[in-house]
Amino acid sequence: MEFFRKTLDPVIALGAIAVLDIFLFLLVGAWTVGGGETMMTGLIAQFFIGDSINQIPFWQEVFKPDAGYWKIYISLGMLFGAIVGAVASKEFFWRFPKRLSEWVMITVGGLLMGIGIRLAFVCNVSTFFGLTPELNLGGYLSMSGIIAGAWFGSLIYKRVLEG
Amino acid sequence: MMSPVAECLIAFVFGSVVGLLVQRSRFCNTAALRDAMLFKTFRNTKALLVAMMVLTIGFTGFISVGAGNPMRFDVGLNQILGLFLFGTGMVLAGACTVSTWVKAGEGNFGAVWALLFTFIGMFLFSLIWSFLYWPPAPSAMTGELSIERLQLGFSNAETLQEKTGIPAIVFGLIQAAVLFYIYQAIRRKETKQQGSSGMESV
Repeated sequence: MEFFRKTLDPVIALGAIAVLDIFLFLLVGAWTVGGGETMMTGLIAQFFIGDSINQIPFWQEVFKPDAGYWKIYISLGMLFGAIVGAVASKEFFWRFPKRLSEWVMITVGGLLMGIGIRLAFVCNVSTFFGLTPELNLGGYLSMSGIIAGAWFGSLIYKRVLEG
Repeated sequence: MMSPVAECLIAFVFGSVVGLLVQRSRFCNTAALRDAMLFKTFRNTKALLVAMMVLTIGFTGFISVGAGNPMRFDVGLNQILGLFLFGTGMVLAGACTVSTWVKAGEGNFGAVWALLFTFIGMFLFSLIWSFLYWPPAPSAMTGELSIERLQLGFSNAETLQEKTGIPAIVFGLIQAAVLFYIYQAIRRKETKQQGSSGMESV
């Protein structure tokens, strides 16, 4: 099938995703990833520490662990869709970071993403595909933050690449 | 009112299509910002702008007639600080929230590792929040300006329409026009770059 042989133009892909996101907005709410990831974190933490999670106020007042939270299934769906796409196009294979610097950057980057999402209450997807198109003030604040952060991250990335 | 099962099912179907399209197109939000800044290439930036144009017109159009489910929560300094940390992190990790899931689905263990540490980062923040109680929990949000809590309140296309009496779509079209202007400026820059590289090869 041609679809799995050639790379799709991202403008077409994102245009299609935007149209679907409008339907999602009408049915349940705009596309977001950070909320679902937070709920997954709560559920994983609950699995490991049991009822002790109730002693952490965040998991009572902000995100009460609930496996029926719809945003979780967007992320699981993305994983499923990507596996289907990668297997069908014969692009699935295990890859591992080779250098220590890569492991360090990914570890620090992941931590910063997690802390940043919870501090802001939003992720990059809510910023660009939810808040800003809804003309929410939070979208403009988040955009200024993410652009400054990406610039700062690029400086570090460049230094590591050159070093 | 939709049942929770139906909501989860719709979310899963939407996510699956997104995962497939992102995997096939190699779109990456990190690349949309990083590549434009570092390498002056705009393949992903153009796609991001097109999506934002479509969404702005779609969302504000439906908000104008009272439809849709916009996000409602107070915003403030925490959005700038949080997304600054996030933006730095996504460039270092080489993936954003979408591409971590998509790359994980392609067998990229680095993406799985980034995802694991995103979860750890979220859990660490939950511990910090439980001491600070900042930013305010949804139940403590007032929708109003609060200097001591560094919160600006809540404002979106709905509130703009309520306050001005002008349909939200008008503001949406203005924003879409600005995004289109940026898109066109990128196209012009690309044409210029191609022209100069063509001259060099001649």
